[in-house]
Amino acid sequence: MRRNKNRRFANTNDEIELSMTPMIDVVFQLLIYFLVTFSTADVLALLDISRPAPDAAQSQQTPPADMIRVAVLKEGFAINGRAVSVEELDALLKKLAQISTKQTVMVNCDDQSLHGKLIQALDMCASHGLTQIAVMSGK
Amino acid sequence: MKRNFQKGGSGGINMTPMIDVVFQMIIFFVCTAQLEREQFSEWITLPDSPNAPQMAQEKDPCTITIEVDEKGKVFIGRTPLSISKLRKVLTKTVADYGVYGPSIPIQIRADSSVPHSFVRQTMDICTESGLYKIAFIAVKDSVSD
Repeated sequence: MRRNKNRRFANTNDEIELSMTPMIDVVFQLLIYFLVTFSTADVLALLDISRPAPDAAQSQQTPPADMIRVAVLKEGFAINGRAVSVEELDALLKKLAQISTKQTVMVNCDDQSLHGKLIQALDMCASHGLTQIAVMSGK
Repeated sequence: MKRNFQKGGSGGINMTPMIDVVFQMIIFFVCTAQLEREQFSEWITLPDSPNAPQMAQEKDPCTITIEVDEKGKVFIGRTPLSISKLRKVLTKTVADYGVYGPSIPIQIRADSSVPHSFVRQTMDICTESGLYKIAFIAVKDSVSD
C-alpha cells in the first residue's frame, strides 16, 4: 500500500513534505477572528446592601436618629434632611465614618433618580468604609 | 529525505492529524469560554464604582443574577421575564431550596441609566420571596476603555 501511495506522490512531488500554506491560511483566519471578537472583561465590584421587608418599610416611618440618612434625589443628594452637593456629601460621610464605620447608613432613593446615582452614593459609603447599608425606596 | 521517509515510521511523523486534533481542541475551549461569559447581556452599561469591594472569583453557585436594562426590562440569564413571572420563579426557587432558600444570594446587574423605580420593583420582589442577600454589581475597573 505504501508503495502505491508513494508512486502516486512521486508523480507530483519529488519531496514529500508538510505543506504549510493551508495551515497558515487557517491559522491566520482564526487569529483574525479572535482579534476581532476579543473583548477584555471588566473587573466587577459587588455592593452589598440590606433591604427592609416590604411590610416593615411601611410600619417603620421614622428611622432611629443614630443612623446616617442619605437621600438620593432626582437631582443631587441629601444627608440627614439637608440637600448637599456630591463633594459635601463625600466630606460629611468621611467625617461621620471617622466616628465609627459600624453605623448604619440608610440610603433612601427617589423613584425617578437613576440607578447610577444610587451606586455613586453607595460607592462613596464604601470608599469610607461604611458597610452597614440599607437601601430604602420612596417618593 | 525521501529515502528516509519511505524507509519506516522513524524518519518523519505525519503532523496533519495532530494539528487537526489540536485545532479542534483550541476551538472547543475558546467556544466554551465564550459561552460562559455570554450568559449576561452585553447591552447593559453597568455603573462605575471604583471603591467598592471586588467581586469574589468564586461566587456561590446558587447565586441568581437578575439584570435590569435601561428600559426597565428584567432578565435572568438573557431570558426576559415579566414581573409576575419573576415573582413566580423566585418564590419557587426559594421553596425548592427549603431552609437554605432565603439565603440564596441575589446579584442585580442594573443599567446605570435605569430609573430607580424599576430596580426597586425587582428588589421588592426579592424581599417578598424572602430573599435578603441582595447586592448590586458595578464596574470597579474598566479594562476595555
